[in-house]
Amino acid sequence: MNATAPVLLYRIAAVAVLGFIVLPLAVIVWVSFFSNRILSFPPEGYTLDWYARAWSRAEFREGLLLSLQTALFASLASLAIGVPASYALARCKFPGRDVVTNILLAPMVVPGIVGGAAMYIFYIDVEIATEVQLAGSLPGLYAAHLLVALPWTIRLVTASLIGVDRSISEAAASLGAGPVTVFFRIILPVIKPALIASALFAFVASFIDLEKSLFLVGPGRTTLQIAIVSYLEWNLDSTIAAVATVQIAIIAALLLITNRYAQLNRAF
Amino acid sequence: MAMAGIAPSAQEISRPPKWRPPLVRSPVAALVAPGVLLVTLLLLGPLAILLRYSFNRFVPGELMVSALTLGNYAKFFADPYYQDVLWTTLRISALSSLLCLVLGFPVAYFMVRLASTRLKALMIIALVLPLMMGNAVRTAAWMVILGERGLAAGIVGLFGLTGRLDIMYTEKAVIIGLVSVLLPFMILTLQSVLEGIDRSLEDAAGSLGASHGQILRRVVLPLALPGILAGVLLCFTLSMNAYATPVLIGGPKFHAMAPEVYQQVQRAMNWPFGAALAFILMITTLALTVGATALAQRRYRRWAE
Repeated sequence: MNATAPVLLYRIAAVAVLGFIVLPLAVIVWVSFFSNRILSFPPEGYTLDWYARAWSRAEFREGLLLSLQTALFASLASLAIGVPASYALARCKFPGRDVVTNILLAPMVVPGIVGGAAMYIFYIDVEIATEVQLAGSLPGLYAAHLLVALPWTIRLVTASLIGVDRSISEAAASLGAGPVTVFFRIILPVIKPALIASALFAFVASFIDLEKSLFLVGPGRTTLQIAIVSYLEWNLDSTIAAVATVQIAIIAALLLITNRYAQLNRAF
Repeated sequence: MAMAGIAPSAQEISRPPKWRPPLVRSPVAALVAPGVLLVTLLLLGPLAILLRYSFNRFVPGELMVSALTLGNYAKFFADPYYQDVLWTTLRISALSSLLCLVLGFPVAYFMVRLASTRLKALMIIALVLPLMMGNAVRTAAWMVILGERGLAAGIVGLFGLTGRLDIMYTEKAVIIGLVSVLLPFMILTLQSVLEGIDRSLEDAAGSLGASHGQILRRVVLPLALPGILAGVLLCFTLSMNAYATPVLIGGPKFHAMAPEVYQQVQRAMNWPFGAALAFILMITTLALTVGATALAQRRYRRWAE
């Protein structure tokens, strides 16, 4: 330890800054139980009514279901597309590998609002050309969320594959296993923790996506994030705090599961 | 052969007898093709279309007319309203990323040098959980705190003051929200760089009589410069493109670039101008990022000498 460091000052700074990051979430959970009709401090009492009220609003109920469904699709489809690509990136040398990596990570680099605008205009153009509706449709939303999830899978799975000792697969190959057997019987079991972690990360990334979805939701088909933002533009009460608390609980549970399989800070 | 698998060049196609489908020819191409095709079709292609549309002309009632004009860009730079939007966005982004650095550095240093392994693991969870909660929820939390009857007003009221706090819907409130949302990115970036700095360098400087301030300034900061730059640029880029915070905490009278892009493309259906806005936003961010990197590299070299 650096003997001259003013430990107490650092400790105070760390507590204050972490509080600044975490406490707002604690506050919104707290507020979701207030019995005050109009949101104000301090609370007059506590109630669970806001949860019932949030559930009774179609946009939150259906938004939550649509978001869960979309995130589940995005996370699984992203594994199906991302794992083979990650395998090629981590195990094979081929010309243009850097270009391919950059293309696959592009959805994370292009700002969400710009990517969303581009996809929206593209969808409308396709609709004009072929009369197939994409903007505001379920497949259109699924495709956008798959794009949001894909870079997470690529990053986490590639990193994990690079760490796999090549000699295990060579040993299996020397005993007569073909490349497909090696992949399914050796590689996949070894990187299972990374697969679970990336599935959960991709799920969360899709679940909380706001900017791309903003352009692609349609009437009667709204993700939870869009429902929250539209509600907040006109109202601020404990209903939204109850919705936020439900979301916090879902994501916290998923991330704590992930934390058992992978180091969370490695993902950023 | 991956790239050939995506776009076979004219040369390859002109050899009919030997030509086989790229997927058969190269297993690598088959592995990466679905992802590459998806991103190209749904993101890169549409971005190219967006760029092309930014040179089109907008005629009200007709969506747009194909043209090759810089009119949309000229309109942006001639209109004081949009210049103000860009300046506001640049100002809040610069301020919030610098604030993130100032607030984040001590925390990252504490995590790497002073905290126990257990405490560090807890702090990482405390940083990553909020990061993944989504900006809508985190912004909602700040609205509850900063709102007219929010927690901040309630606390002020306890001290017998008016109990009204006119901070919501101001630039200050937007910056507070952005800093809180972006701080975990900064701290995690700084943390990973500080982890790579050999602790014995600091001990050596200390044993030669350097104060902690001197050690930070002369040893840690120069070595951490790449991480500091990466963290600042990440926060800057994210706040340039922020949507939820400016819209919700800034309110209807606060205008930032990302909400303006949405407004033009989705609401006003003025695609050419919206496309121009999107590219002005991306190019401004990119130019500043590249410029800052070049500047820092020059300075870094001088520092290292």
